[in-house]
Amino acid sequence: MTQTAAQPEANAPARDDAPIIEAKEVFKTYRLGRVDVPVLRGASLSAREGECVAVLGASGSGKSTLLHLLGGLDRADRQPIDVDAANHVAHRGRSIDGFSAHELDQYRRSTVGFVFQFYHLLPELTVLQNVLIAAMVLHGRVGYMGRSAALRERATQLLDRFGLAHRLKHRPVELSGGERQRVAIARALINQPELLLADEPTGNLDQKTGGSILDAMMALRSETKQTMVIVTHDQSTAARADRVVRLVDGKVAR
Amino acid sequence: MYQALLTRRYLTSKIMPLLSAAAVMLCVAMVLIVWSVMGGFLNMLLSSGKQLMGDVSIAWPIYGIAHYEQLIDDLEASPKVDRATPTIEALGLLKLPTDEPRQVQVIGIDPEGFNAVTGYVDRLYWKRRAKPLPGDTHGEDPRLKLPAGFEAYGKTLSYPDPARNQDLPAVVTGLEVSRFYERTRAGYVVSVLGRILPSFEVTITVAPISQGGSVVDTSSQSFVVANEFRTGLYEIDANQVLMPIDVLQEMLQLEEQSIPDPNWAPGQVEFDADGVPHPVVAKTVGVKPARATNILVNGAKGVSPQQLEVEVRGIYETWAQRYAERGARQGVPEPERIQIFTWENKPGLRTFIQAVKKETALVLVLFMIISLVAVVLILAIFWSMVSEKTKDIGILRAVGASRAGVAWLFLRYGLVIGVLGSLVGGGLAFVIVRNINPIHEWMGRALGLVIWDPQVYYFTRIPNQVEPSKAAIVMISGAVCAMLGALIPAARAAWMDPVKALRFE
Repeated sequence: MTQTAAQPEANAPARDDAPIIEAKEVFKTYRLGRVDVPVLRGASLSAREGECVAVLGASGSGKSTLLHLLGGLDRADRQPIDVDAANHVAHRGRSIDGFSAHELDQYRRSTVGFVFQFYHLLPELTVLQNVLIAAMVLHGRVGYMGRSAALRERATQLLDRFGLAHRLKHRPVELSGGERQRVAIARALINQPELLLADEPTGNLDQKTGGSILDAMMALRSETKQTMVIVTHDQSTAARADRVVRLVDGKVAR
Repeated sequence: MYQALLTRRYLTSKIMPLLSAAAVMLCVAMVLIVWSVMGGFLNMLLSSGKQLMGDVSIAWPIYGIAHYEQLIDDLEASPKVDRATPTIEALGLLKLPTDEPRQVQVIGIDPEGFNAVTGYVDRLYWKRRAKPLPGDTHGEDPRLKLPAGFEAYGKTLSYPDPARNQDLPAVVTGLEVSRFYERTRAGYVVSVLGRILPSFEVTITVAPISQGGSVVDTSSQSFVVANEFRTGLYEIDANQVLMPIDVLQEMLQLEEQSIPDPNWAPGQVEFDADGVPHPVVAKTVGVKPARATNILVNGAKGVSPQQLEVEVRGIYETWAQRYAERGARQGVPEPERIQIFTWENKPGLRTFIQAVKKETALVLVLFMIISLVAVVLILAIFWSMVSEKTKDIGILRAVGASRAGVAWLFLRYGLVIGVLGSLVGGGLAFVIVRNINPIHEWMGRALGLVIWDPQVYYFTRIPNQVEPSKAAIVMISGAVCAMLGALIPAARAAWMDPVKALRFE
């Protein structure tokens, strides 16, 4: 049975060379009207601690969907019993497919940082508040109040690092695309997640701006040793990663 | 934490939440105004119903109760009774100094006893006033010019007659009886006679009723008006005239009378020892006791009108047994026929109070149903807001916000809107209710719109008190309703697929 077979691995302690995040033979099908559209057809991906993996693929290849599964934003399809029982998404060897809703929320808020192609900032909040909102979600009211000074300091430092110290009280609408993406990266990093998942982080930016964004991300990664998975369709972006995985029609190309 | 921040930001950046708050505000204000005015009307009716009546009344209209002094003694001997006083009620005709007639209810009272039971002296209107009313900028209120102690005539129902150098019986009329005054911010100012009615002479006509129930004759007598009273209950102020009970008894032939020998006839002659004829003087074979149509009873402290009614009924039964042979026509009605009622159950008043209670409840229910529209309106606005904020919901879920957290964001938002709307609505209702009389007067002047007719609503002033408990109930309900309106949209937000939400355009 799929679930039973996955349990020993889920409870096994992570080895040093074990992947920090792993998607193994995962499937995902979306329903568009009356039609089932398979997006992932047994895709597999793993990343070790501190590794930067680029997922390269054409539009519609399932890159973003794979990233959502890794980040616990979506769940992989459950497979029939007679299919390979090992398919799952696991974090440090523990399958996140079996997480409760609460565990999955906790996983997203403490372990994962998302960076999206279209920045996804909250338009009513200032730059500083947009960064701090992730910390507010993580720590809750009481926890945040106790750490607010330190968290504001960290957010300010991050934004300063990205050259946005003078923009703290600005709204997203007052920023350029590159600046917005830097704010989004600062938000993803504020809780110091061990896994940074970036979905076409430069896809909406010109080459120069995109390059500077990648420079900043890579510089931070080298300091923090964060594990990073970057989804992109751009070869030059993918070339900055330690390892490139190609996704074609919902599967990793060999 | 993030919910508080976003609630604050959403509130100040969009017009829609302000519209929702406005809807809550209007509903809260509407319900609170209606409840305050109608509830105040009911309270005024309940408290005023007791005016000039006491807690319990024993009534035997027209024929009256004989030996009422003994009944009063028996009543006052009870520890549950504070005081009892006789009155006579009769229909009458009042001719004013302008020769205008008014149909009135004439009430004969013993001023001291009546005041002890009803406190009517406090309701005498014409008393010297040291300071003008706040709205009386020109000092128009006639009370400012009255001599000190003017109300003494009203207290005793007498008025000095310098020609005869004695006090004559006088009457006290309700302030709305004459319709000579104009009600302004300066109080009641004179508009017809040139000065106030007291000291003018009026004529009262009543019709004594025979034991057979037919009108014997009419009886008219002129009196000086000693003062006027104002209870605030229009029905009383526009119809009642108080006069000394002994005078009214005589006019209605209810005073103590001798019963002549039925065998005596005019023209009968008797001869003395010397054989000199003398006309036979009528002999009396008995005394017909004076009567009162009502006995007003006030309970001792801590005795409810209902308890007092039971006590009075018991005392009446014992008293009536003493005069069992006399019967109703002789002024001692059987206990099962006598009318004994608390002020709340006074004939006419009880039906009216019940009607007003039901009307108040009906109006409240109607307005609450209308208020449900606000709930639906908030639901619609929040539904639209959740659609507009779909991407925000996706972002929050991506950074780890739980479904409950997202739901609470919108519920809290609804609650804040509800609290804001309720507070402003409560404040608005308070200002309107407190100033409802000036507003109503302005509407009458500017628009010719008189909604509160004292002849319909009994009172000359619209109730203008907001009870804190009512305000709290309405305002809390407003806030809760706003949150209820946000409930379905909040659930929708909570169950939104974060991936779809992030892809929402």
